[in-house]
Amino acid sequence: MAYALQQLINGISLGMIYGLIAVGYTMVYGIIGMINFAHGDIFMVGAFVALISILLLIAGGVMDGPAALLLVLAISMAFTALYGWTVERIAYRPLRGSFRLAPLISAIGMSIVLQNFVQLSQGARVKPLEPQLVGGFEVMREGDFVVQLSTMQILIVLTTLVVLAVFTWLVTKTPLGRAMRACEQDRKMAGLLGINTDRTISLTFVIGASLAAVAGTLYLLRYGVIDFYVGFLAGVKAFTAAVLGGIGSLPGAVLGGLLIGLIETFWSAYFSVQYKDVAAFSILALTLIFLPTGLLGRQEVEKV
Amino acid sequence: MSAALQTAEAPKILEVDGLTMRFGGLTAVDGVSFTARQGEITALIGPNGAGKTTVFNCITGFYRPSAGSLRLHRSGGVAELHRLKDHRIARAGVARTFQNIRLFPGMTALENLLVAQHVPLMASTGFGIAALLGLGAYRKAEKAAVERAIAWLRATGLLERADDPAGALPYGAQRRLEIARAMCTGPTLLCLDEPAAGLNPRESEELSRLLRDIRDGTAAEREAPTSVLLIEHDMGIVMGISDHVVVLDHGRKIAEGPPALVRNDRHVIAAYLGEEDAA
Amino acid sequence: MIARLVAAIRDAALATVVAFGLFVIMVGLRTEVSPSGALFLQQRWREIGLLCALVFVGRLIIALWEIRPHSLGQSPRRAAFTLKLAQIFAPALMAAALVLPFVPGVDRYWLDLGILVLTYVMLGWGLNIVVGLAGLLDLGYVAFYGIGAYSYALLAQYYGFSFWLGLPLAGILAAFWGVLLGFPVLRLRGDYLAIVTLAFGEIIRVVLLNWVSLTGGPNGIGGIPRPSFFGLPFNMSGEPDTFAGFFGLEPDPIHRVIFLYYLILALALLTNWVTIRIRRQPIGRAWEALREDEIACRALGINVTTTKLTAFALGAMFGGFAGAFFATRQGFISPESFTFIESAIILAIVVLGGMGSQIGVAVAAVVMIGGFELFRDLQEWRMLVFGAAMVVIMVLRPRGLVGSRTPSIALGERKAIGASHVSEGRG
Repeated sequence: MAYALQQLINGISLGMIYGLIAVGYTMVYGIIGMINFAHGDIFMVGAFVALISILLLIAGGVMDGPAALLLVLAISMAFTALYGWTVERIAYRPLRGSFRLAPLISAIGMSIVLQNFVQLSQGARVKPLEPQLVGGFEVMREGDFVVQLSTMQILIVLTTLVVLAVFTWLVTKTPLGRAMRACEQDRKMAGLLGINTDRTISLTFVIGASLAAVAGTLYLLRYGVIDFYVGFLAGVKAFTAAVLGGIGSLPGAVLGGLLIGLIETFWSAYFSVQYKDVAAFSILALTLIFLPTGLLGRQEVEKV
Repeated sequence: MSAALQTAEAPKILEVDGLTMRFGGLTAVDGVSFTARQGEITALIGPNGAGKTTVFNCITGFYRPSAGSLRLHRSGGVAELHRLKDHRIARAGVARTFQNIRLFPGMTALENLLVAQHVPLMASTGFGIAALLGLGAYRKAEKAAVERAIAWLRATGLLERADDPAGALPYGAQRRLEIARAMCTGPTLLCLDEPAAGLNPRESEELSRLLRDIRDGTAAEREAPTSVLLIEHDMGIVMGISDHVVVLDHGRKIAEGPPALVRNDRHVIAAYLGEEDAA
Repeated sequence: MIARLVAAIRDAALATVVAFGLFVIMVGLRTEVSPSGALFLQQRWREIGLLCALVFVGRLIIALWEIRPHSLGQSPRRAAFTLKLAQIFAPALMAAALVLPFVPGVDRYWLDLGILVLTYVMLGWGLNIVVGLAGLLDLGYVAFYGIGAYSYALLAQYYGFSFWLGLPLAGILAAFWGVLLGFPVLRLRGDYLAIVTLAFGEIIRVVLLNWVSLTGGPNGIGGIPRPSFFGLPFNMSGEPDTFAGFFGLEPDPIHRVIFLYYLILALALLTNWVTIRIRRQPIGRAWEALREDEIACRALGINVTTTKLTAFALGAMFGGFAGAFFATRQGFISPESFTFIESAIILAIVVLGGMGSQIGVAVAAVVMIGGFELFRDLQEWRMLVFGAAMVVIMVLRPRGLVGSRTPSIALGERKAIGASHVSEGRG
């Protein structure tokens, strides 16, 4: 019981991270109908920017308290967003309205570029970061087993909730959000109505990348080790989450992320750690086969 | 044309009985029943949103009806279309065209017509092995298939364009090619979804002639007469060539009969002109 | 002219500002692990300056030369030209491939490179059946390559199968897995299919990695038997029942390499021959029709599922053959050879070559794999160059090198069909 509760806590905090990445996939898929294959690597860049800024703040002697963490988050979001913007500008925009496979190949190419760029600039070695946030609460005790809710986990959940709340407000209440939804429905029509679709799409990438940066920062703080390859698996799993929740649906992406996080954690805890990725991928296959629109996706009637 | 007389005599080809189709809460087709007869052109008409295309998609298996039955009477017996999957329906002898043309644009006109003969050709290939090795039985079958394709290209006036990609043909030619492709499957019932949409008057005239020839079996060499079911907006064509007209409105059948009769039906006029005017 | 120059400079300056933003943290501050295990930062301002200067100059050149993405549609004349070029180029390439081992100056290194390139040509042609003809986006093709390799390796290890017995079995097993995996997922659309096939590829790799008792896990399988020349082994003893002894040659390790070269050439050509033949058969036409319009196919009575499955299985089978070849050539395999990046490279070859074009795929494999090898000296830089090349080629030529399509049958002369008409499938 206590063990299960601990897994539940771990699963939720991992799931929140997947959810944040999944939102980026779902947004881009919704607006231009492509899998942004490089999104996982954007997440990885976010984690690296966060790592570097933490080291900078430590060197400056100001890495202390929530203000410093907020600063790290802001730096990571800003610089990662620039990467998101650049990727779209270089690899996707010239291919807009082109053949369907071209952007996908271009995206795979971009993913390879980002991974190897980081490997070159930051080295191939795994980067271990000492825990920046320690401590936590004891939730319950069962025999020798202590259920821990760490400060870090609380931070993950709180940050994710705040970020998602801001993001939801952005998408539903602001003119930018309206423009995004309009582009999603019918890009050509939105353009005719005076919406700058190029700018809207750019901003979608920027927002998606900043959310990935938040995920990257939290991932770094929680797990403490990153390398240039973390983006691939995290990306595929987050995409799984987006599909599971129903691609195009923002609450779906978060829900999907939570489910994938929980499934992965419980699978590792009760069955086998080695096969945890198999579990995630199997869920993906099963979802697509039996529930192609995902949990919260819209049903599509085939037009003949 | 003694259409009215024929209606009473000709054997049934398609029997639609109590066809109902719901999408979520919306009932697009509500208990529609009608019969199409052999050797006739049956037209399905109605204002926009009347449910014509939905009926069509049920008949051709792209939708599974919520209720009701669809029976195709063939020489071999009766096929229960509402129980079959779409490609099985096509094999049972129902061929169709689409409202927005669905050709294989990157393939030539000739290739389009050969794909249509996939099922008999495939049977002659012995799972592709015989064909891979270029064995005789397949060669003969392919020759026959090409001949049939040529016959239909000639019938639709597309013989010179045989080697051009379908996507490069002018609009009217694409419409005709789609009909030729449907006919190459050797159907007992040809279903046409707005075949005259976007055609100019001269092309419409040609289309009418082609459809009559298909019905009478004189369109191409060695082709049997084929019954036709069509959805059409162009009343000139409908009234000119149909033997039997079924009128739908808001998912229900409101009239049925020979064109002359339907044209003067009070409900039909009301449906097309709006309720107030009819009252 | 001046206005254009000013605009170009402003453009380049903007790009440089962006580049500075991109590089200032990720390049300018490098994380290093100190001997004590703690992380520290190393500042690299010179590199940033260099990169920014590069971006400025590069962007200026692009702006001044007005390099624009290639127009999407190919005119019929252009398509005809590409076709003519391909008709001349294909036999030349073929002849070069045939005589390569006997060209003076071609040593072991070149032969090994030839074998590598031909392996990718074969994989490209195999995947081309699935992606190029049937229009099914498969991101997990490496799974079948891996299944083929492991099938042969395991059959040899546990049951002592020889290569010539293992090769067909590896192909059949891969095809079997293709059907097994394909059956539930082939009704998915485009990108969904892509991601599920990717997941399958990863699942297979993770299983190979963790099923230690069967596959040896990360340690892989070694001592895989080498192929014999119709029963005559290649070895150095020079006895009459070896290859060298039987033909009265001086025993030389190069014999086996030349044999392997011709073996993969033959396998690749088999793939090509089958594909070309099948394209003119009903099933091949049905594949292409499926790529063009699936709904229309259903209306013509074509069983979409079995048609897709045949394409998937056939593609998988050739992947399996290539895998068995890979295992016998290397003598050692491990899950590391079957990562996602392999799938991506094979897919890139197919797309860069021009989907559906046999010669295009061959040329793309030569350019990509050969080019990759040429940049060997760049070491860790070459993967970066490789990825960048994928992006650049797609931006400049989204339809690949040969975007046109040759009809499978014609009443008159076969005319190439321009890329603008050919679809690439949604499935």
